[in-house]
Amino acid sequence: MKVKCYIQGMAAISPQATFEGDVFSAPLVHTDSNLLTCMEPDYKPFIPANSLRRMTRLLKMGLTTALQSIRDSGVEAIGPIVTGTGKGSLQDTEKFIREIEQYKETALNPTPFIQSTYNSVNGLIALQVKGTAYNNTFVHRGFSFENALLDSMMLLAEGAPNTLTGALEEMTAEHFYIKSRIGFWKSTPTDSRQLYVQQSPGSIAGEGATFFVLTGTPTAHSKAALTGFKMLYKPTEAKVAAGLAEFKENVDLVLTGRNGDSRYEHFYRQVDTLFPGVPQLPFKHLCGEHDTAGAFGMWLAAQILHTQQVPAQWFPMLEALPANINRILLYNHFYGEQHTMIVLERV
Amino acid sequence: MEDLKSKLKAQIIEALNLQDTKPEDIDDNAPLFGEGLGLDSIDSLELMVLLERQYHIKVEDPREGRKILQSVQSMADFIQSKQPA
Repeated sequence: MKVKCYIQGMAAISPQATFEGDVFSAPLVHTDSNLLTCMEPDYKPFIPANSLRRMTRLLKMGLTTALQSIRDSGVEAIGPIVTGTGKGSLQDTEKFIREIEQYKETALNPTPFIQSTYNSVNGLIALQVKGTAYNNTFVHRGFSFENALLDSMMLLAEGAPNTLTGALEEMTAEHFYIKSRIGFWKSTPTDSRQLYVQQSPGSIAGEGATFFVLTGTPTAHSKAALTGFKMLYKPTEAKVAAGLAEFKENVDLVLTGRNGDSRYEHFYRQVDTLFPGVPQLPFKHLCGEHDTAGAFGMWLAAQILHTQQVPAQWFPMLEALPANINRILLYNHFYGEQHTMIVLERV
Repeated sequence: MEDLKSKLKAQIIEALNLQDTKPEDIDDNAPLFGEGLGLDSIDSLELMVLLERQYHIKVEDPREGRKILQSVQSMADFIQSKQPA
């Protein structure tokens, strides 16, 4: 994909202190429960109390992050709203399904049903910002955010003034249990700080909401430029290597979605071979594994490019970095199926 | 009747997650929608569900619902009228 776009504003609610405060002094949040849970802000400054009372966690996280990214961008009129989510509001979905059983398909509350739909966060954002432009949510497992991003780039290429592009995911106890039964998580409690050392089947779970305001042209406030993008579905190792090789030139740092899962580590090992001497940083010990973890990776890459700093306390494995970081390659995949390569550059 | 209204107020607060409201803040005759508690159309559906779950009363006619859900007093009157003598 040859389209270039620019990040004007961004925000992230994640298990780390990414939403408020200084990310360069916030301590590393870690777990040994195989689940990294989001650090949630006070929602009251963002959402009217009368609306807040009805919203579940993911809706509050998604809407607040979206509003913060708009504030950060300085853009006044938001154009298309495009998001990706693997599972949407699980809390509402579970409540609705439980009540179907409990009340024998009668007397069902409308709220969990309405909010269990994948696009409910998009609707809430549009209502809040009075946005009447294109509005779409992609639900494509490990490609959910990436398809939202691709759609946004195409909208910008067609002349949209900007897009609000984001991703949201939550983890519930029920969903964590279901996924543990099908081998998504490690079978023994793992310290998230040791994630990359303890290679075994499965990873640790996570969640998060990340939003970007994108434009087709740069401004004085642009944080980073997105200059390369590739998605590969169930590729062979050779195809991944060929894809990575396309972005080999002048990369100063590679961010990888390494997650300690021994079953799919071989894909990431190719980065070691293809980018000898280029520093690498993994990010899943910060946000955990989830369908839209790639959005967190992109937030981190843009943050590093914009500030020219790495939050060192989050990366005990950090080695020497180049004095200037001008080009970052982000390579992530979701359980060996959906692979994404994104190149971000300093503006 | 007074017991029913107190119970109803607590149930409304719980069903609609009115976090900063206490039963004593709700006037028996104050309108539930628009002014008063400032509820909206989704809340009216939630209150219909409340009547069905807690009192086993199904409101079939939406026009009737508008009258029933006017205030705590009108809801209590309606519930009482449906109770077996």
